Amino acid sequence: MTGELRGSSPGKAPPTGGPNADRVIPLVVEHVAKSYDVGDRVVPVIGDLSLALDNSQIVSIVGPSGCGKTTLLNTLCGLLTPDSGRISWYGRAIIGQPQNVGYMLQKDLLLPWRTAHGNVMLGLEIRGVAANEARDRGRAMLDQLGLHGFADHYPSTLSGGMRQRVALARTLVNEPAVLLLDEPFASLDFQNKLLIESDTAKLVREGGRSLLLITHDVEEAVSLADRVIVLSKRPTQVKAIYDIELGIERTDMMAARDSRDFSKYVRQIWADLDVVLQ
Amino acid sequence: MTADTESGMSRATDPAARKSVPATVRRWQRLRSAALVLTTQCALLAVLLGFWHYMTTNNKQAAFMFGSPLAIAGFLEQMIKDGSLWRDSCVTGVETVLGFLVGNLIGTITGLSLWYSRFVSRVVEPFVIALGSIPIIALAPIIIIWFGTGLISKVAMSTLSVVIVALVTSYKGAVGVDADQINLMRTLGASKFQIFRKLIVPASLTDIFAGLKLTVGFALIGAIVGEFMSSSEGLGHAIFKAGSLYIIPKVFAALVATIALALLLTSVVGRIERFLMPWRRVH
Repeated sequence: MTGELRGSSPGKAPPTGGPNADRVIPLVVEHVAKSYDVGDRVVPVIGDLSLALDNSQIVSIVGPSGCGKTTLLNTLCGLLTPDSGRISWYGRAIIGQPQNVGYMLQKDLLLPWRTAHGNVMLGLEIRGVAANEARDRGRAMLDQLGLHGFADHYPSTLSGGMRQRVALARTLVNEPAVLLLDEPFASLDFQNKLLIESDTAKLVREGGRSLLLITHDVEEAVSLADRVIVLSKRPTQVKAIYDIELGIERTDMMAARDSRDFSKYVRQIWADLDVVLQ
Repeated sequence: MTADTESGMSRATDPAARKSVPATVRRWQRLRSAALVLTTQCALLAVLLGFWHYMTTNNKQAAFMFGSPLAIAGFLEQMIKDGSLWRDSCVTGVETVLGFLVGNLIGTITGLSLWYSRFVSRVVEPFVIALGSIPIIALAPIIIIWFGTGLISKVAMSTLSVVIVALVTSYKGAVGVDADQINLMRTLGASKFQIFRKLIVPASLTDIFAGLKLTVGFALIGAIVGEFMSSSEGLGHAIFKAGSLYIIPKVFAALVATIALALLLTSVVGRIERFLMPWRRVH
């Protein structure tokens, strides 16, 4: 499935060819630790964390509030440097921002002076994609996410759900091999959330991309992911790992919620979190 | 691609449906409330002028001290007829606009570029505060010695009145940009210059324009203070000359022209703002 990575992002695509292509795991985190200095105290946030994200895999990370999920994400993105441990993107340690990785937060972070279309094209402009091509790809991406007719709207005229869709389009239009999403749907109402989750699952799985989803919504984690990693409270460690097998097409969030084992997983993960919370 | 999604979303907030009927109604409501504000403003002005007129008609001493609205109107008419109002307004207007442009250009560019280096901005900060605390009028004699009594000294005064405010507001705008937004640009692969050009500058526009509106008045004050010190023309000169001759209504007549100039320049800045920031027109 990794062959789906289109060649239109020259030089940015990870090595997908060759006999060992599928063995190169996109993201490997080994024994990462990170602490902050608060005044004269050192507060450990991430204790000792190891995880991996495979090609075409969706991994969800859930944990109690304040367990350092966002710190983890910023560390993975190269915005923070870990105190110890190793982060490898495609088998190599990277200084600075990893390439071909899309990043999306709960805040849509749309630029108010750009239209929906302008916001989607931001990444393409930065990478110097030709204007015509950027325009076409931006429009196509908005159409795919059901935003046809809203391309020329400013963010202030769009609803929360639509804004988050634009943010998703801005992330996906760069055709990232890996997506890092930090509670991207947390501020949406249930209906919008299900719809955008389904679209995300479809676009990620059809494109053969990998997705690391940080969330505190256990149902979202189970319905979207192939694997759910439960974190402990600070200093954060891996508490449990669940491989989710629902036995259905994994792009329909309603069907996922209706499937036989769904509530079993959710209950177990809740139990893990409860133990942690005591 | 997702039929259910698309219909469910666009039915709720179809752009065409939102615009259709209530738009005209809303425009009427807006016009009506604007008309109400304008009427009240005119009424307030009329009451004020009426009171002024009443107090000065039967009292020669008050008429001398405060001038009467009719006398002021008379002087305005006379100044229009002999062309001095137009000439003085143009002189002061040119000084103000030049000082406004030069001061804001220098101030804004400096303020924005301080975003580039935390080190430089920390080094520069106390100097900026020190310069900002100097009353510009105290510099007027030196400015006249340096730049002479012509146009340049007035523009210099006007520039000095503007530059620190422009610097501080634009710097505040630049450093106030959301850190997450900068991180997003970085993850999209933006260089520092791209972050500056595509994020910091447009994001600072709101603060820059707040500064521009504020500095219109400062630029005008600078130009008029400069004219007070030494000049042969301009509204400041007219005010100063009429004041020294105790022709109070003429002072007010020149002040009316000054106010008109300030309102004109402010409205021009407002128009440019609306033109440059169309995304803010939508609400």
